Amino acid sequence: MLPLFLLALLGAPTLGANVPAVSTQSGPVVVRAGQIHTVDGGRIVNDGYMLIEGGLIRFVGANQPIPPHAHVVDYGPDAVIVPGFVAAGSALAEGAPSARTAEPSLKALDGFDFYADQTDALAGGVTSAYITPARGRLIAGQAAVVKLAEPSPGGRVLRAPAAIHAAISAEARRTPGYWEPPVPATSDVGLGVPLEQLPRSLMGAVLAINELLDGVAANRPVEAYGPFAVRDLAPLVDAKTPWRVTAFAEEEVRALIAVAVARRLPLIVDGAHHAGELGEALAAAKAGVVYEMPFIPGRAGRDRGVDAEEPEPRLDVPARLRAAGVPVAFSVPSAVPLRDLRLAAILGSRGGLSSADALRGLTLTPAEFYGVADKVGSLAQGKHADFAVFSGDPLDAASSLRATWVGGELAFEPPAGRGTATVIRAEELHLGDGEVMRPGEVLVQDGRIVEVGERVGRPLGSVVVSAPAAMPGIIDLSSRLGLEGGRRTPATDFRLGQIVAPGDRAARAVARAGVTTVVLDPPGNTNTGVPMMAYRPAAESFEGMVVADPVGLRFAWTDGNRARSGVAVREALAKAVEYQKRWVEYREKLAAWKPTPTPPEVVLPEPPKEEAAKPEAAADEKKEDAPKEEEKKPARRKGKDEPKPVDPDPVTGIWTAKVERPPLEEATALRMQLQLADGAVMGFLRAEALAEGLVEVRGHFTDGKLTLTGIGSEGLLHITGAIEEAKLTGEITLGATLIALVAERTTRDYPVAKRSQPAAPEPAAEEPKDKPKEPRADPRLEPLRLALEGKAAVFVEVTRADEIEACVDAFAAVGIKPILVGADDAHLIVDRLYGRVAGVVLSHEVIESRPEDGVLRRNRYADLQRAGIRVGFHSGAADGARDLPLMVAYAIAQGMSPVSALRAMTSDAADMLILSDRIGRLAPGLFGDVVLLDGSPLDPRSQVLRVVVGGKEVK
Amino acid sequence: MIQSIRFDRFLPAALVSALLVAAAPEAVAQKLVIEAGRIVQDASTEITDGIIVVEGGRIVAIGRQGEVEKPWDAPVVGGPEFVAFPGFVEAHSNRGMDRPNENIDVAPFLDVRDSIDPINLYFEDCRRWGMTTVNIQQGNNCVVGAQGRIVRPVGLTIEEMTVRPGYGLKLSAAAKSGKSAATQAQALRTAFEDLRRYLEGIVQDAKDGGDKARREAMFQGRDLTGEKATGRAMGGNTWKVEGLELIPRGAIDEKQAPLLDLVEGRGTAFIWCGSPRDVHLALEIARTHGFLDRTTLVLDPSCWKAADVVAESGVAVVLEAPLVHIERDPLTGEETETFVPGVFAQKGVRFALSSQNSSSNSLWFQAARAIGLGLDRKTAIDAVTRVPAEILGLGDQVGTLAVGRLANVLLLSGDPLANDAWVQHAIIEGEMVYDRAKDVRNKYLIDGIEPMGVEGALDASRAGAR
Repeated sequence: MLPLFLLALLGAPTLGANVPAVSTQSGPVVVRAGQIHTVDGGRIVNDGYMLIEGGLIRFVGANQPIPPHAHVVDYGPDAVIVPGFVAAGSALAEGAPSARTAEPSLKALDGFDFYADQTDALAGGVTSAYITPARGRLIAGQAAVVKLAEPSPGGRVLRAPAAIHAAISAEARRTPGYWEPPVPATSDVGLGVPLEQLPRSLMGAVLAINELLDGVAANRPVEAYGPFAVRDLAPLVDAKTPWRVTAFAEEEVRALIAVAVARRLPLIVDGAHHAGELGEALAAAKAGVVYEMPFIPGRAGRDRGVDAEEPEPRLDVPARLRAAGVPVAFSVPSAVPLRDLRLAAILGSRGGLSSADALRGLTLTPAEFYGVADKVGSLAQGKHADFAVFSGDPLDAASSLRATWVGGELAFEPPAGRGTATVIRAEELHLGDGEVMRPGEVLVQDGRIVEVGERVGRPLGSVVVSAPAAMPGIIDLSSRLGLEGGRRTPATDFRLGQIVAPGDRAARAVARAGVTTVVLDPPGNTNTGVPMMAYRPAAESFEGMVVADPVGLRFAWTDGNRARSGVAVREALAKAVEYQKRWVEYREKLAAWKPTPTPPEVVLPEPPKEEAAKPEAAADEKKEDAPKEEEKKPARRKGKDEPKPVDPDPVTGIWTAKVERPPLEEATALRMQLQLADGAVMGFLRAEALAEGLVEVRGHFTDGKLTLTGIGSEGLLHITGAIEEAKLTGEITLGATLIALVAERTTRDYPVAKRSQPAAPEPAAEEPKDKPKEPRADPRLEPLRLALEGKAAVFVEVTRADEIEACVDAFAAVGIKPILVGADDAHLIVDRLYGRVAGVVLSHEVIESRPEDGVLRRNRYADLQRAGIRVGFHSGAADGARDLPLMVAYAIAQGMSPVSALRAMTSDAADMLILSDRIGRLAPGLFGDVVLLDGSPLDPRSQVLRVVVGGKEVK
Repeated sequence: MIQSIRFDRFLPAALVSALLVAAAPEAVAQKLVIEAGRIVQDASTEITDGIIVVEGGRIVAIGRQGEVEKPWDAPVVGGPEFVAFPGFVEAHSNRGMDRPNENIDVAPFLDVRDSIDPINLYFEDCRRWGMTTVNIQQGNNCVVGAQGRIVRPVGLTIEEMTVRPGYGLKLSAAAKSGKSAATQAQALRTAFEDLRRYLEGIVQDAKDGGDKARREAMFQGRDLTGEKATGRAMGGNTWKVEGLELIPRGAIDEKQAPLLDLVEGRGTAFIWCGSPRDVHLALEIARTHGFLDRTTLVLDPSCWKAADVVAESGVAVVLEAPLVHIERDPLTGEETETFVPGVFAQKGVRFALSSQNSSSNSLWFQAARAIGLGLDRKTAIDAVTRVPAEILGLGDQVGTLAVGRLANVLLLSGDPLANDAWVQHAIIEGEMVYDRAKDVRNKYLIDGIEPMGVEGALDASRAGAR
């Protein structure tokens, strides 16, 4: 029985054994990435995952199903996971050395600050480091290996002592004389003189090591090194603690090998810049090498002089040593932060080291040197879950770090928000205007495209997303998305930005289909034009949502009574021209106007006597009056300020509250935006508990009491309450339900989600009288004025050929190129339209068949585009906008040129809307809205894989 | 500096208590009646319209007007407009000395008595701000520093000021200037190793029939009579040197004796920690050498991070100003503020506040600010009265107003922690040591009244300065 039981224990379980003392993770975590370099036997797992539990790795591989209850963190198919780097040397615990030349009792752990923030090292993927208490001594002390992040300070020690930190290079030969002042010094006890301390030469250093080892062997102190050097060294030597000795020059390394071989020391050579020739000798001595990067980044180049004796540091040393069978680990000079450790290995590869060896030198090799390979340095079952995630091959300098994990917990992630960067990499990058890059990359930072090219930069923390193909986000030229079923036709001066809110589910669904910009086109028509807005449904903030509000106006040319067709439009245009003229005149006047110099406002306390003597008495009187007025003014102002200021507008702004509705257990958020004007209040309300969508509310505010009424999804909704100091207390009546409401005003602004347009400068309080007066702004005519200036679009619904022609003529007369909507007969007069319209938005019927007119099957989109007239696609639906790509696919299937179709849904649409500086192409400065596909966008079979809006994937 | 060192020995407990009840130097009033509209006895007990009867420097009665008998022959101070409050207690201070630090790493043989300057303005400030008991310790820049001394901020000689001599040995777990964290730790450990080696050496010498220690002591002219002539086995509960009874106590080197007191469980220690990691070293040293229960940690604000470790060890701490620790995130630049006393209060650590602060010298201000930052009033008041008194082993003497306690009473013009309240009178052991009406410096600063006898002199000196 017993053997069987034992077998079972040995076989099943390393899973349950080994639970670490510092277990913080509650449940298992699965981390996925395209590649996992385990370094354990050079194994690379593709498309696999790593299962972590209790801070340890339970499984690395691909061939097992992911445990269903695990929390999955997926870094995507381009990410590469490597073991957390082990810095083979660091200055993290370094301080002033002790007075003695050999001080084996000095402990690195005493010098290490367990509470210190090691973000700098973690930001380079370094999770463990060798620490030394000091340097610059023959034996500086006991080194240790620590982890750089761990919840409990005690849990950070991996091994102590890990090595005897020694040096025979020049730094160890400058130890000052040893002097201990006697207390008290008297006439009998002199102050003494410093005692010379060895070594002063390489020879002396070798001798000193030999003397100390002899002392250890004979168990007697060696006077020259103080009374306790041998006593403190003996246990380290007995425990076969490795000697990590700094030696740079070839002769230093050679001397060291000789000592190590003779005394059988476990040796690790540190520095070794010139040890390239000594590979075999080092291998024979079973020594390891910590190769210190011979370069300090972030400084001017280092002049080494013309001395022929000074050997060149060579980058091929690691490769040559490795070829001879010497294990090589990497370190950086003490002036270099640990986050640059990866660069040491990259330079090693530059010298010919294989990728596998370079990566091993950052991970498993140093862990083996210091006896911590059973815990860190590779990714295998039972090891600590310390690893780094890179955006690509970690030995590619262009890859950047995405995350560092220590003990199964996220220890570092490049800070989000500031400078979040996304690199989109596609085998086939369609820029939107017909140009294609193969391959191509787009760098999006802070929501905007900053670089487009075959290879772009990868800032720290950048996420690389790759796909077979990518194209700009699709533009829907007419959609109802955001109206939430509203059928009202808004007034011309209504700003649609007020009614959209980020985070809408339907909006995200549309964006996921690839439609990243929609033109919100309310139903109905008015004589003065219906406002339209271009917005990005998947943007995460109000500011990011609105691309242009208004993007333009829509008119209807065609009237039911043909005689009246175009009358309203002509009137509107005439008014707009008149209106614009006033502005043009004003600008001309303003440009011509020169301010008359104002007399300096110097008030003389008393007129000089000479002047007073002059006969003009009237002039004198005036002068006396002036100062009096000046005195009065400030006094009056002061008086005005005295009464306690009353909040002039206690209502306008955003109000938030938590609403508890009895059947629902949790309180849900309520958000109201209200605007007060002459006692009347209007605005919008959004509360999941009360209504599904946005509710328009109207009411009034008198004597501190607020009354609002709106129609929610469950009928009429009343809000009554009192406002006192930015706090609204009252109740909501919804049918028969009464809900208590306590709302707070979070901001006084009435946030209209629109781009901050440079508002017309408010006239300064005291404008000179002769300055030209600004014409009164008319918000209803403002969009047309912008259109007249070529800054906004005008959509016109028009059908018949003669009407189209009349319409285009009318617009041409005022210099506007309209976008024709509908335009059934446009193909008949393409020559009359060419160059005179911004584009045409046809109805959804791609194919026209009119056998009676001899037209059998005609692709209306293709025909117009072939004639050089831009066409655009539109959904005409709310969440149905997601069907837009299918409409395009159909148009292609029916013979439209795929290249033209791509242009029609991206750059042509943007050009029509006069938004080509924001959307429609992949070019620096534009919004980072990109659609990733599994194949060419020109192939209707390709489907959308991922959609990135403002650099962030829409999920 | 070496000439100025005076070897002061540990005083037996009997002598200490004798000094405590020493009569006030000027026996002006044996009896005193203090009246106040409100007496704050401690953080949770108050009497409205009460009186305190003082006799022989101690409180003999305390209660409401009419309930306590007033001696007919006692002078009366105070009145209904005053608030009586126990004198503030400063648990640790480096001020009031001509220089706070020595340059020898391990110097337990030094005593701050040789450095305390009775006319230092700090003591005047103490009276002005109502700090009636102050523990003076060597500065933080040391490995093992001098022995401290508890004083009252009144008197012209150190003896007159002394409440308890040779109290507390100063140690530092933070690196002294010129040392690294590792060499500091090494030096601290070595100090105790050296003690042990020294003791083993003299014991071995005695066992070998030698008499080196005694002869050395006689050569130095030390007292080797009475108790000091006899040896005693080593006490304490950690490591022991067998055979120490062979050595007359008076023969033990004075350079080592204060450390031996610590290990044997007689002395107390104040250990300075400049960063959270130092807390670990301080506790390790105190544990290894058996004086953890008599250790007080003096903490830099950053040490809140080690609050768990402190709480687990059970030691009391003195929190140096400032009260808020600010940390900046290296990547985002965001600043995080931590209210330090709040953290310790939450972890259940007993703590005293310290007046050492660049902007103020007063404990009331620290306590009031701590309340402003979220500490409850009781804990804040305790942190400047009762807790520091306990840390100094004077919990039954000062820090609260009760029968049998020393009459260290402040008469304030309002609530002790109010911004606009002043110390009007400070009474230490029944003796009036401060009267705001006679504070010439205050009068000059606030009312512009020049002290007597200097008419014109200040103007002249100012004119000269110009």
